[in-house]
Amino acid sequence: MTRRFLTLALIALLAACSVEKVPLVASDVSIKKPMPGMNMSAGYLTLTNNTSQSIIITHVTSPQFGSVEMHESVLEDGMSRMYALGNLTILPGHTVRFEPGGKHLMLMRPSIGADAVTLDFYAGKAVVLTVDTSLQD
Amino acid sequence: MNPRSVLIALVALIAIALGTWTSYRLMSPPPVPRTATVFPASAVLPEFSLLDQYGNAIGREVFTGQWDLVFFGFTHCPDICPLTMQTLANARQRLAESGHDPLPRIVLVSVDPERDTPDVMSQYVDYFGDDNLGITGELDEVRKLTKSLGIYFEKTAVVDDAYSVDHSAIVIVLNPRGEFHALFSAPHDVANFVHDLPIIMAQP
Repeated sequence: MTRRFLTLALIALLAACSVEKVPLVASDVSIKKPMPGMNMSAGYLTLTNNTSQSIIITHVTSPQFGSVEMHESVLEDGMSRMYALGNLTILPGHTVRFEPGGKHLMLMRPSIGADAVTLDFYAGKAVVLTVDTSLQD
Repeated sequence: MNPRSVLIALVALIAIALGTWTSYRLMSPPPVPRTATVFPASAVLPEFSLLDQYGNAIGREVFTGQWDLVFFGFTHCPDICPLTMQTLANARQRLAESGHDPLPRIVLVSVDPERDTPDVMSQYVDYFGDDNLGITGELDEVRKLTKSLGIYFEKTAVVDDAYSVDHSAIVIVLNPRGEFHALFSAPHDVANFVHDLPIIMAQP
């Protein structure tokens, strides 16, 4: 009886694990190779918060770039302006898009010859998401 | 009905059709730009002394002889500037594919000449096409051009010692006489350029 109960409990636990969503998901990731002579590029992606709590991205790092900053391009009174984003709050169940003409990652000082890119998204000292991708032509 | 009557009726029908078509052509308004603003009187540019992407000295005569699409930006701009340059390149490609001739030239004038040397500009504008023109030089000379075209730009701090440059996002159309003829306001869209440029460029 005890064995049967434990088996059922294990099946229930595995089933629960299999349907549990990943807390923060990245999709539509796109980072272009820096243009000739340029030491920076822009990165775009979609972040979805599958949890019931806000996730606050404080900073992003990449071993392949000297620095990664979260920026936003805005059009104000016919002027194109760029602001550095401080903390980025993604509300529960919400999606934030980094896309051309809006929020973007500014990736500076790339390692020479690197095609594979890893991005680590931090909430404070904790990495809440790691994205592995490749530079696009 | 005898053959003669049939012939007369046929001629009459053709005459009516031709008349209707001609009056429709004469009375229908000419196509107008969808988004571009075309000025009733073109403005002459001031004299300036700048450099092209090869380091050659250039003045306002560089804008004569072809239609130019002029954007003011800078190479360290990661988002809007490459996006706009690519939009212009795609529009030019679409016009080429539809057989439009002549094609406008794409011109980038740097609002960050401190970092945008001719060599940097050369690599940047060539990335978006072979026939593009990059312009840089002394800041005071750049301002002569921007002031005359109503372009505003300002250096701003972003993080630490890094800086960006806020700048007007319009695309200016210069006619083959080198005059300020029309402008496209941002945000830019390939379809708008493809629709409006043939209309603008058909004007004297």
